[in-house]
Amino acid sequence: MKPSKGKTKEDTWKTEELLKHIKAAQGDHPDHRDKKNRVEKRHKEEESEDRRHRGRDRDRQGDQDNDKVRSKGRESDGDLGHGKVHKKVKNEERDKVRGKEKESEKRKDRDGGNYKERDKRSGRRVHDEDEEWDFNIERSTKRGYESERNRDKERERRKEKIKSLESGRENDGNDDQRTKHWQKEDKGNLELSKHDKHEEKERRRRERKEKEGRKAESNEEGKEKKRRSSDVRDDDYERRHRERKDHELHDGRREKRQKDRQETGLEINVEEIDKKWRDKKVKESKEDKRKHQYKEIKDSDREREHKKREKRDWERREGQERNHRRKKEMDEQERQGEGSKEESGRRTREHLPEFTDESGLKGATDQEKHAGTLLEELVEGEEIGIEIKTAFESTNYEDDFEDYEDDFEEDECEVEEEEKEQEKEEIPAQQRAEIEAIQKAITAENEKICATWMRNNQVTYVEEPKKVEDSRSRGPVRGTCIDFVAAKQREINSKVACKQKKRSAELLRLIDLDFSVTFSMLDLPPLNEYDVYIKSFGRTNTKQAFVQSNEDDVDQEIQTDEIETVDKWTQHPGEGNLVCGGENLSDTFSSDSLIKNIDTQRLTNFLRSACQVIAVLLEEDEAENQANKNIQSKAASLSVSDGCSQLNTNLPFLNGREVLCLHFSQAQRQTLLSVHSFPKEPGVVKLVSNYIICIWNIWEPSFPQKVLICESEVQCCCFGPGDALSVFAGTVDGSVVAWDLRDCSNIHYNLQIGEQEWTFRLPTFTTDGVQTAVNHSCAVKAIDPVSSPTYDNCIGLSLLTSQQGSSGLTFQLASLDESGLLNLWVVIELPKADLAGSLTDLGLIPGGKMKLIHSSSIDVISFLPRNLMEMCRPQTLSIKFMPTDSNHFFIGTDIGLVSHGTRHGLQVAPRLYKPETDGTRPVQVTCIDFCHFGKTMFLVGCSDGTIRLHSVTKECPILQWNESTRGSPIQNMLWALTRPGMFFVLDTASHIYVWDLLQDVSKPVSEEILQPDRITTMDILGNPEKPNASSGLMLAKQSGTIEMQYLQKKWSGPHLNELETLHYLLQKTV
Amino acid sequence: MGENSYCIRPAFQHRFKPAIVKGKIYTVLKEELTNKFYDPEEVPSLTRKIAEAIKTQVKECAFQRYKLVVQVVIGEQRGEGVKMTARCFWDADTDNFAQAVYMNDSLFCVAAAFGCYLY
Repeated sequence: MKPSKGKTKEDTWKTEELLKHIKAAQGDHPDHRDKKNRVEKRHKEEESEDRRHRGRDRDRQGDQDNDKVRSKGRESDGDLGHGKVHKKVKNEERDKVRGKEKESEKRKDRDGGNYKERDKRSGRRVHDEDEEWDFNIERSTKRGYESERNRDKERERRKEKIKSLESGRENDGNDDQRTKHWQKEDKGNLELSKHDKHEEKERRRRERKEKEGRKAESNEEGKEKKRRSSDVRDDDYERRHRERKDHELHDGRREKRQKDRQETGLEINVEEIDKKWRDKKVKESKEDKRKHQYKEIKDSDREREHKKREKRDWERREGQERNHRRKKEMDEQERQGEGSKEESGRRTREHLPEFTDESGLKGATDQEKHAGTLLEELVEGEEIGIEIKTAFESTNYEDDFEDYEDDFEEDECEVEEEEKEQEKEEIPAQQRAEIEAIQKAITAENEKICATWMRNNQVTYVEEPKKVEDSRSRGPVRGTCIDFVAAKQREINSKVACKQKKRSAELLRLIDLDFSVTFSMLDLPPLNEYDVYIKSFGRTNTKQAFVQSNEDDVDQEIQTDEIETVDKWTQHPGEGNLVCGGENLSDTFSSDSLIKNIDTQRLTNFLRSACQVIAVLLEEDEAENQANKNIQSKAASLSVSDGCSQLNTNLPFLNGREVLCLHFSQAQRQTLLSVHSFPKEPGVVKLVSNYIICIWNIWEPSFPQKVLICESEVQCCCFGPGDALSVFAGTVDGSVVAWDLRDCSNIHYNLQIGEQEWTFRLPTFTTDGVQTAVNHSCAVKAIDPVSSPTYDNCIGLSLLTSQQGSSGLTFQLASLDESGLLNLWVVIELPKADLAGSLTDLGLIPGGKMKLIHSSSIDVISFLPRNLMEMCRPQTLSIKFMPTDSNHFFIGTDIGLVSHGTRHGLQVAPRLYKPETDGTRPVQVTCIDFCHFGKTMFLVGCSDGTIRLHSVTKECPILQWNESTRGSPIQNMLWALTRPGMFFVLDTASHIYVWDLLQDVSKPVSEEILQPDRITTMDILGNPEKPNASSGLMLAKQSGTIEMQYLQKKWSGPHLNELETLHYLLQKTV
Repeated sequence: MGENSYCIRPAFQHRFKPAIVKGKIYTVLKEELTNKFYDPEEVPSLTRKIAEAIKTQVKECAFQRYKLVVQVVIGEQRGEGVKMTARCFWDADTDNFAQAVYMNDSLFCVAAAFGCYLY
């Protein structure tokens, strides 16, 4: 690693040292020097240290095994340096006065190693030079580092320039002389230095540390130290560099070499140029001063002082430069450009004492020696150059330098007086004061700065104050090592930190940091006792068993008496004799329960029919009693009748009402209904605005079986076909009303009249207001059940069937209105009554069980021929279904014609039944009645009194009687039920005509006139199947009474071959 | 360095995606903790191991410029209530976290990965 020149350097160093020693010996205080050098203890160390210095740069990068050794040395060095510096700064004058020996002794007392150190230092200086040399050689490797430094240097240089201009004292011309001296010394020292080579490394390391320590110390102690310490390393490098260049000015060769070695970049070149320029100026100024001084100090002993002066000069110059540099560096580091001028000033002052005489001496020596030394220089050539350079560089080690200076000063004590005078002469008092002030300020400043700076450098800062007080008292405490790597690292770190800070500052403007919402990472609720239990014990393969403790078995007292309870049982319907039982009682009732095996349904059926019979019997019995009085008193009013009886219409709600219609049930011949109109005068009861329909059993004439009420005028009325359990009526406002006679009485209007309570039955169902699309829009003129032959056949079973399943009650009902609309309804019985009423069947009374469903509509007028239609639309007045075939119906019109239609199927002939006289006349067909016997013939009564007998098959009538009623309109006309050729005619004049076609075809057999009470309507009682049963005419009178005229046997009893005779007669007449 | 050369927001594809991370975390937890019982001796090392595993897993997601912090807590299930929350002082636009919980009969484990974007 060491270049070949290392050795030469060493040599030079040794020579230098040697020279020093020699010098010391020659000088005023050779003893001192000798002493120092001879101090046995650390002599070796010191020397090795010097060597170490040489290799320091190299070793810096090397391993650090020798740290301990180094630190030791360093400490000693540090102390020494410190002491020296201190001495120099504060006790310059004193020291000078004092003898060298004294000082050295004192130092020894204080600090064992001082004298040693001094020697060391003197050596070190040289050694530093060597080092510098090494450094130069190695610089190529460290170029990167240096380039950085160079920048700093440049800045420093600039400042320096200014300083140098100001101070202008120093002369580079001295360098040559100095170098010569150094050279000599080196030569002398050559042998000495050699003997401790093996310790070199260690020493070097130590030296390095020493430097650091020194650095630290210097900071503490004051500006000089500060200056020294602040950037020892940098300083050294820079100084070396600069000095080298200075040399280059003088020696081209050297310059070349340096250039070669350095190979530094542009910066360095620039620096060099700068330096040259600077140096020149500095030199000039210095030389001038020196010359001036020289004249004044001619007397001084040149021989002796020459060396001293040289040294001093050198020292001073170096010191100055160093100071400048240091200061600049400091300033740079602290980024304070201020103190450069001040420093320069201070420095000048500092050095003034020395300077004044030294410069003079120097000047003399320079001038004297110039000629001789120049030659020497030339002869020595390269080596000298190098040495000079190294010598200059050696000043890096301020301590060494200082030490040297101290020594120098001591030597100088003789010249002290002169110097002082010179000082005074040269520097005016004012200036001095100024300088002092500035110096103080700077010191303060530097201290401050150093304080901060030192902290970073980890120097034992605490100790420093003491040392400032008494630098010499300081022991070998300065044991800190200048860790360049760490420093560098720190610098980098601080730079990075700075960058990061800037970065963060810039970024923080752009970014919003916030406390975001708290995130719930986990929320585990505590388990309750049961969960824990289950968790630990509720696993598989474990069995849970529960044992009941007696805790919940609690007795509680109550005050109520015990309730006696008995168990009973019952069974319905009873499946045996025993239908109920239980403990105790079962014995007592067991005998009775044996009897109770009753078919309740059979019983009710029996009771219902039986009680009817019994009721009739009772009624008859009563009627018989009455008849003995009343009927006989009321002698038969009709010639054909042999007796009569009255229905009891003398009821409060029937008073004043005209009977408009009487109608016997086809199924139950004894059941009669009567339609009562509005009362003529307001009655007692509230039913004034209602039509009343009474259902009678003619055998119980004392009161009606049922009373029905209807709010509208009833135009026509009929029973249901199968039984007398339902009543239908058509009203004047077009509605069809139905009553279900089995309705429970409590859903109807119950009214207490007198002592009797009557139930007035409201219609179970009405089409009023419902089914408006199909309903009649005008008065319903006729209503007739469509009886089917099958139905007729099961009439006998009707009672039972109706009892068994009322849902079997379905039949069709036809209603005809004036406009010729024939509606067919299906009457159905609902399986279940709903007391709450039906939502869909609005015509249904709540609780009712029967309803009408519209089946079909037939426009009856369409059966009439078109030509009749042209005049005006005929009215339809009545309808009859053919008893044997309910498909055919016959409709009476107001034009004297009877239309023949069918419910379904094709039109059948004849379509019309016309009177004998052709053409249409405005004659109403008031009634149509079919013969009850096999022959399909029917009678047509007209409003003009005409009676026609038609055969179904022929359009024209078989017989027609025009004037039988003398023109009065036919009111009613009825075939007798028991005799085929006999019929009754009632005209509006209340005449009853009895016809018997077997006796007389041309005119009625008899004519009865019932006066004064006009007969409004009549119906005939009788049973075609039981011809012997009683038959009669039921007559309703205007007064409201209903009278039964029993026909005489001769009129009612059937005759032999009557029907054949009739047929024969009819055929004969036709 | 230019004034505005900072990358203030991550590209969408490099954003910290909690859903993915959560899945990864859970996978790791499942791998590591299935059929494990709480053992106070073992748990400290286990948490570290899991945390490392999660970290490497999440790193694979390549959320660029994200600094990751992974926290793993394992506790014993003894029926006590546990409540754990996190609060972050960060830039909610870029930074996010994902968290997953694994529980079995003897232990519960909460693992959270916080991703902080480095601008």
